[in-house]
Amino acid sequence: MATDAPTATGVSTAEKATWERIKEPAVYVRLISLFVVIGGWELMGQTGNIDPVTFSYPSAIAVAFWDLIASGKMTAAAYESSQILVAGLLIAIPLGIVLGILMGRFRTFEYAVDTYVFALYATPVVALAFPIAMVLGVDFVGKTTIVVFFAIMPIIVNVYHGVRNVDLSLLEVTRSFCSTESQRWRDLIFPSVVPYLVAGLGLACGRALVGMVVAEFLMSISGLGALSQDYIADLELDKGLAPVVLLMIVGIALTKVVNICETKFSSWRVRQES
Amino acid sequence: MSSSDNGTNPTLRLQGVGKWFGSLQVLDEIDIDVKTQEILTVLGPSGCGKTTLLRIVNGLILCERGEVSFKGEVVDGPRPEMAMVFQNFGLFPWKRLDQNIGYALRIQGKDKNEIDRLVSHYTELVGLGGFEANYPSQLSGGMQQRAGLARALAAQPDVLLMDEPFGALDALTRETLQEELLRINEAEPKAMIFITHSIDEALLLGDRVLVMTPRPGRIRFQFETGFGRGRDLEKIRGGKRFQALRHYLWEAMRNPEEEPEPIPDLVIE
Repeated sequence: MATDAPTATGVSTAEKATWERIKEPAVYVRLISLFVVIGGWELMGQTGNIDPVTFSYPSAIAVAFWDLIASGKMTAAAYESSQILVAGLLIAIPLGIVLGILMGRFRTFEYAVDTYVFALYATPVVALAFPIAMVLGVDFVGKTTIVVFFAIMPIIVNVYHGVRNVDLSLLEVTRSFCSTESQRWRDLIFPSVVPYLVAGLGLACGRALVGMVVAEFLMSISGLGALSQDYIADLELDKGLAPVVLLMIVGIALTKVVNICETKFSSWRVRQES
Repeated sequence: MSSSDNGTNPTLRLQGVGKWFGSLQVLDEIDIDVKTQEILTVLGPSGCGKTTLLRIVNGLILCERGEVSFKGEVVDGPRPEMAMVFQNFGLFPWKRLDQNIGYALRIQGKDKNEIDRLVSHYTELVGLGGFEANYPSQLSGGMQQRAGLARALAAQPDVLLMDEPFGALDALTRETLQEELLRINEAEPKAMIFITHSIDEALLLGDRVLVMTPRPGRIRFQFETGFGRGRDLEKIRGGKRFQALRHYLWEAMRNPEEEPEPIPDLVIE
């Protein structure tokens, strides 16, 4: 692809150029935007316009980040946090898929549970933290349950919609060729659900991170949430914000993993675009 | 008008089939016999229940009155001896072409070697050799329907059910596929019910044409085209018989209320 495509004026390349115009500058715009925002923020800090007691700036946070890694505090906290995050996701993903499939496939099951599912989906899960703590305690089980509640909703709802939106004409094709129910799941329903599931997993990972921090703030304080809160309480904002940066990085990494899975499971879709 | 029952046992028999969707009657008193290796084209305007009729024959839906029988057995659900070619192709977008063509064979539980052999045979027969690894979205409509046809043929049915299979294709592709279908059917003859709303297509492909009226769908009349097998479509198109039948059907379709005048010298077996 020509690097000067965005400025191409040739009529014949107009269509191609439209794509490149959208695609290529995206990188530049993002870089410039990052430079302006991060740079401006840093400049404010360097020139003494940010009070380190109430806020911090990039280079200070970066130094704090490194200090916390070097002292082993960050890794220990991250290890602690990751336990409830991983446990929560390991429960939420299979459970969400199974519930979504049952809801999508069996009317009776759907009618029996859809009120609760959609009510919970619309409820801020934070509000459930205290009842959960009362019933399940404020330690590992209670915190993991919060993560599960946060993560499971988009999985259930997306899988449910995926099963529901199976192409009816393809359903008829499977019937016409005398497919058994289990073959129908393999040939039609599971492949139709994959894109919905992947979208649900992306949302679930983000929400699981939120759930993890909420649990660590509101229940027995621990992990990255505790680390951040302790330093903020001590008015060391740079150290208090460093765990937040780590959470951002983890969030972005999880989203990437989901995207890679998506590409792998829907090669037919990607090829279609290229 | 002619009866198709010439003493030989029909492969497929519909007797007094009536179908309602709620209180709306869509099919009324449909009697059809399809002989072994006969191509029956069903012609009618939209909404005359052609597709419903085909779905009943396939066993996808059941009729409230009358019955469909295949070789003497009542059809109460889809069976492997019949295979449908769908108007919208009905290919799985996430399956490669060879997987789509072998779909029915995997459903039937054929072993892998047998599937590979049949898939490559029918892929070649419909002219898709070399495209096995492609996904449907990478292929033109015509090629997708070739795959739809190959999938149905690979199932080795006794009856092919064609639901306006070329309706979604452009005129040129359509004509090419009509010729290909006849060529393939010469090579491996099967009974076929071919639904269409194109007069030309009904005449060119059919051994017998059955014309339906809408609301509720009834059989209006039927006749043998008499063009014989191994037909040259170009020659038929230019011929007097085709022109006369075409005009006759055109008039009949335009005046659905009037009883069409018989054309004795043409509408005979």
